Amino acid sequence: MEINDGDLKQGILGLVVTLVEVIRDALRHQAVRRMETGSLTDVEIERLGKALLELDNAIELIKDEMGIAEAVKSVRDGLDKVVDDLIADMVSPPRALAGAREGALE
Amino acid sequence: MSGSGCGRYMYCVVKLTGEEGTLGRIGLDGNEVYPLLSNGLAALVHNCGAEPYGSEDDSVLRRWVVSHQQVVEAAQSQFGVVLPMRFNTIVRDTDERAADINVRRWLASEGDALRRKLEKLSGHDEYGVQVFWDPRVIASAMRGSHPELARLEAEIRSCTQGTAYMYRQRLDRLLRQEVEKAAQSRFTDFHRTIKRCVSDLRVERTRNGTGGRMLMNVSCLVPSHGIEPLSHELEKIDGMDGFETRLTGPWPPYSFATD
Repeated sequence: MEINDGDLKQGILGLVVTLVEVIRDALRHQAVRRMETGSLTDVEIERLGKALLELDNAIELIKDEMGIAEAVKSVRDGLDKVVDDLIADMVSPPRALAGAREGALE
Repeated sequence: MSGSGCGRYMYCVVKLTGEEGTLGRIGLDGNEVYPLLSNGLAALVHNCGAEPYGSEDDSVLRRWVVSHQQVVEAAQSQFGVVLPMRFNTIVRDTDERAADINVRRWLASEGDALRRKLEKLSGHDEYGVQVFWDPRVIASAMRGSHPELARLEAEIRSCTQGTAYMYRQRLDRLLRQEVEKAAQSRFTDFHRTIKRCVSDLRVERTRNGTGGRMLMNVSCLVPSHGIEPLSHELEKIDGMDGFETRLTGPWPPYSFATD
């Protein structure tokens, strides 16, 4: 297995930033929920909103500077696909011939 | 194919009495397809090993599946009604004679159920119906009409930066929820409408990728030459903003061969 030093670094950075984005999403979700349930004052809403906005901007800046926007997107798309497939398999198990029929159409 | 034992690769079941004439070398890898009879029914088979057909190479798998489909279609034109088996359905035993007996015995014991199914499928074709939707079209239609969405949009324009951010998140969440609800109710409507035009219907797994997001994917059992009511309803759905349908078929009734 050949590992390029540069690629490895990019890969790790991509994973790290993906993780940061996932945590950011969770924070954002929590903040909005608290606003919706009325447990935040107007001042708190403004302050939280500003903090999250700055976090978003910082993340975008890092992705830009490191050139890892694509890498992050592909990790996230991959994660989404894993979850989608898992759920779909639980809901209805795959069928070989149905899949082949779809395949014949492409 | 290695491994001990013999197999009978099953293509489909048809009604047949009398002759056990061969269908020729039309099976997988050019194997000869012939009927094994019992009790007025026949299973169309070819002789294979005990192991299922497997390959790392997708193009090989695809070729086998296509062969399977071609045999089933040939059987359908020859016999009228078929009960298709899925790819890689193999009945096996320790030797040739035992494998034959297993198939015939299965036809005999399942005879009534098989005949009932053949009766149900007789005079029908299977069609595939897929409905695609563009969530953005639905979303923009909603922005105007939904009161809280309109209110949020107005507030976002006039408030301070941090608050605008939070309201925008709320708007996005709400919009996503409402669009999902709309999709659900459309699904229910379409399902009801389509069900009225067909003899039977199976909801299948949706798959994404080709041309927009798939809202529904159903297999329909349609009376032969009776596709008009269904295609009429699909035209109506196509006329709706943000929706698109795809009708495929006719196919042999794979989706309705089992319960």
